[in-house]
Amino acid sequence: MEITATGVSVRVDRATLVSDVDCSVQPGEVLAIVGPNGAGKSTLLSVLAGDRRPDAGDVQYGADDVRGLSLADLALRRAMLSQDLPARIPFTVGELVELGRHPHRSDPLRSSELDQRIVAEAIAAVELDGWEQRIVATLSGGERLRAHLARVLAQQTPVVLLDEPTSALDIAHQEHVLSLCESLAASGRAVAVVLHDLNAAARYADRIVVMSNGSVSADGTPSDVLTEELLSEVYRQPITVTQHPHRDCPLVLVVDR
Amino acid sequence: MSRDPVRAARRRRITSAALLALGLLLAGVSLSVGAAGAGPRAAIDSVAFHLGFADNPPASDGVIWGIRMPRTLLAALIGSCLAIAGVTLQGLYRNPLADPHLLAIGPGAAIGAALGSLGAGTRGAIAGGAACGVLVALLSRRVARRQSADPGRLVLVGVALGAVLTAWAGFIVTGSDRTRVPPMEFWLLGGLGSATWTAVQALFVIGGAATLLVWGWARSLDLLALGEGEARHLGVDVDLVGAVLSIAVGVMTGAAVGAGGVIGFVGVLVPTAVRPLVGAKHRPLLLSSALAGAALLIGADTAARTVLVPIEIPVGLITTAIGGVVFLWLLGRIRSMAWS
Repeated sequence: MEITATGVSVRVDRATLVSDVDCSVQPGEVLAIVGPNGAGKSTLLSVLAGDRRPDAGDVQYGADDVRGLSLADLALRRAMLSQDLPARIPFTVGELVELGRHPHRSDPLRSSELDQRIVAEAIAAVELDGWEQRIVATLSGGERLRAHLARVLAQQTPVVLLDEPTSALDIAHQEHVLSLCESLAASGRAVAVVLHDLNAAARYADRIVVMSNGSVSADGTPSDVLTEELLSEVYRQPITVTQHPHRDCPLVLVVDR
Repeated sequence: MSRDPVRAARRRRITSAALLALGLLLAGVSLSVGAAGAGPRAAIDSVAFHLGFADNPPASDGVIWGIRMPRTLLAALIGSCLAIAGVTLQGLYRNPLADPHLLAIGPGAAIGAALGSLGAGTRGAIAGGAACGVLVALLSRRVARRQSADPGRLVLVGVALGAVLTAWAGFIVTGSDRTRVPPMEFWLLGGLGSATWTAVQALFVIGGAATLLVWGWARSLDLLALGEGEARHLGVDVDLVGAVLSIAVGVMTGAAVGAGGVIGFVGVLVPTAVRPLVGAKHRPLLLSSALAGAALLIGADTAARTVLVPIEIPVGLITTAIGGVVFLWLLGRIRSMAWS
């Protein structure tokens, strides 16, 4: 399912958080949304998710306007991982991931065999198998995030939106989560990820949207978008871009002022 | 609790069965002791007669069926209502300290209950309590949404608001005809001394309806544990769930206050004790908490009227003495994350 935002603006009091943004995510692609702090990345993602109604512009899920979709409809079309997740979740990992099946459940009392299989696969996909019985509140930050990611996977929606899913993870798990995004896209989903790590975006995104001061500064493939001029200007920091020595993608390096 | 799903399910069943057995045992004791002296034999005869197993009532049937039975049943219903209200508020606000009385719902209900009993006796007290309980529950939801970041602060605001509402209830009670409104002690510490079948029936209907509402929305409470934002992402209408469940909590708390006064800490004590046994999923937690709340209040009330015979201790003294300690322990633990 394609998701398209057209002319989206979000204002809070006098501040404009997002200003006249066009942005789309196609089935089969990973879109990375990058930019400095306060650029409006998370705001844009929450507009795409249907959490926040824009002051101007529309968001379309396929042919449907997001305003016409109920919460239950939306939950079948998009899964979203927020940035601030409560730490004090009293459920086991298995119970948490099983909540991701909620939108699909006809009988709220018991989960079907299909539900159980999907839950087990989602837990295995984030490498938490064997941890099903651990209480989520007792996990480390990274483990907790992966448990939530499994919950998002279990929702099995055509659109997947992730707000900084890698910020609490070590390098190996960052790579793992991003390659998970890649395989989600390969299976035909539309995946949008807010990222801070430009090199992660360079490696795993099919397309990158660079945001700055609430607007889109660039939108294109990693090699089109990740240029020294653009990044140095947007981040107000001298940046050099070279070819990654071992990967077929740009490598972004910070240089001294 | 045991984390293996099969063993956990078995443990939940055993816990429920044990709590039910405990409640029935305590009910048996409650029916068999008291100032009038009628003992277990008379209690069995009386129950057998009213269930159709015996032809003649015992001589003390008036004491057992007319006084002790409604009192025992009322204790069970109030205990269940307060425990379910506690579970619901804790789920709604993701705050293990939440309790219907600590969040001012009980003290607010006391105003309506006092006015109601002036107008229409027991039924009026229960209806007035439920009405005011709903108002304060909706008000406390507004407060809670603003204070949600800090579990302790929510309770602090609730306790202060509760003190103000208790004072207003006090003005009404002290200014009213003593024969028509229960004394201040009842509104502060509760009491089941005037339990009647009328109160039992009214609380059964009102509390039962509110309980069914909570039971039906239990899955939404599970989802709310993820935070309001994530619950919404999974299709939960957070505003609707919050409003419906606040109303349910207000109704069951307010009706319980109308029937038995403000009996403290049951709503925080019971779920805290039950959660480690059955886990945090709301259906099993609600069931076991309802049973445990009933058993707790039957036991507390039986103790209240037998320990210092012929003096009757207000039942709230007993629940507060136990529940307050548990609350303090919880307050110390809350920073260290897990609920169970």
